[in-house]
Amino acid sequence: MISAIDRPAVGVEADAQPVISMVDVGMTYPNGKVALADVNVVIPRGDFVFLVGPSGAGKSTFIRLLIREQLPTSGRVVVAGRDLSRMRRRDVPRLRRRIGIVFQDFRLLPNKTVFENVAFALEVTGSSRAEIRRRVPPLLNLVGLHEHDEHLPTQLSGGELQRVAIARALVHDPAMLIADEPTGNLDPVTSWEIIQLLIQINELGTTVLMATHNQEIVNAMRRRVLALEHGTLVRDESGAAYEREY
Amino acid sequence: MGFVRFIAFAVVRAWQGFWRNAMMSLAATATVILMLVLLSGLLIVISGLDSGLKFIESKVAVTAQLVDDLPDSQRDALIAYVEGLPGVKGVIYVSPEDAMHRLEQTYLDRGLKLDLGGAPIQLYASLEIALDDPNFSQSVADTLKDPKRTEVDRITTKQADYETLLNIIGTIRTVGVIALILVGTVVLFMIVNTIRIAVYSRANEIEIMRLVGASDSFIRWPFILEGILCGLIGGLVTIVLVAIVWDPIQPVMVTVFQMPTAVSAQFLASLSAILLGVGLGVGALGSWISVRSNLSAAT
Repeated sequence: MISAIDRPAVGVEADAQPVISMVDVGMTYPNGKVALADVNVVIPRGDFVFLVGPSGAGKSTFIRLLIREQLPTSGRVVVAGRDLSRMRRRDVPRLRRRIGIVFQDFRLLPNKTVFENVAFALEVTGSSRAEIRRRVPPLLNLVGLHEHDEHLPTQLSGGELQRVAIARALVHDPAMLIADEPTGNLDPVTSWEIIQLLIQINELGTTVLMATHNQEIVNAMRRRVLALEHGTLVRDESGAAYEREY
Repeated sequence: MGFVRFIAFAVVRAWQGFWRNAMMSLAATATVILMLVLLSGLLIVISGLDSGLKFIESKVAVTAQLVDDLPDSQRDALIAYVEGLPGVKGVIYVSPEDAMHRLEQTYLDRGLKLDLGGAPIQLYASLEIALDDPNFSQSVADTLKDPKRTEVDRITTKQADYETLLNIIGTIRTVGVIALILVGTVVLFMIVNTIRIAVYSRANEIEIMRLVGASDSFIRWPFILEGILCGLIGGLVTIVLVAIVWDPIQPVMVTVFQMPTAVSAQFLASLSAILLGVGLGVGALGSWISVRSNLSAAT
């Protein structure tokens, strides 16, 4: 197992403050199933990282720990400078505003328009209407949906739905974007469009962590890859492919 | 501003939630109305009977009928003696003429004229003894029944009436409180379930709210307000219903139960405040229980 703590990712300065730091993290469920064991990962600000591994390898648990849906049974998870184990419950919403997250199934509200779906994330965190009107349109521009702002989700394609979800995830200007299988429901061409959008977002300074099974994309992108197997981090390699190449 | 936005958000979402889940919300509201109507009925009846009780307490508790042709000196001595007994508030002497006048007045009040057909009827002279507490009734009566007290011919008390009324009030209060507890439990159950269904039907939305960083207050309060809305609407509807039937009830409270007119005029306002308070309280409690058990795991 290679520890990322000892080695910064390629292209990232060693002293850059990490967005994510996992130290000896273990997660064992009450039924005894070990979801993660001794995971050590440091993801610096601005990195683009793929999280790969077969189903049941621990990718979902990894993500749930980052957004503090669960707490590790051992070790320490630090996100954006905050130790999640020591974080008070009432501070969790503030953490989640620092992390944008998108899913394979988009998780949009079907009765709200594109604009309203993005605005919803601001509305439920107490933003004013003026702030909503100021912040939503640029995001819809960024994801290329400014002309669809009045459309309902049922009127959009899969790629467009994922763009709305990405716009919503970015609405609080997060330090990190977590994408959990964002291309899982999309055709190859649309998948590449979404990847291009994620690259664009990463180039604007947002750290991106993308869990995926899509070998083609990982192999073509040649970014940092974290590979999980049976809850263990078996590979942490920069400029890497989906499978081990040595 | 942030707090105002939060309140506006929670109220709007509660209103939308109420109508989105209209069947359950209206059913819960109907049970609130049922409970509050029952509560209104109980409060009206108990208040009426309490007023009647106070009226009896304030009136003559013991009447001592005097022997015929009792000399004034003995009568005055008897009055002085009775006034000195423990628990006696006051004594009024009713002469045979006064008694006859009262009888005539009673007939007149019923629209009749007392006609004795010229018979030489003379009513008893009596002492009407008011007490500080109806519980002294028996001891005063026993003292005057003493065979040495030859001035007194016969004693009547209101103790039996008082105790009968007290028993009726006690029974009604007990039955009413039991019925209210049962209906209140059903109301709580209905509200808890209504909010539970609302939480489940909006699970997707709650999940999104959590992920985008909505605080617990933003997630929970719309549901709590939705329960309060059931109680509020239930309370307001019941107040309207009571106000509609109050016009025929008020004279009954005044004439039959002897409720003072001023008290009767204020009664509706007090009852409305109680109904609104209980409605809001039950709504808040039910939704709080539901949110606590159904949302704590999710947030």
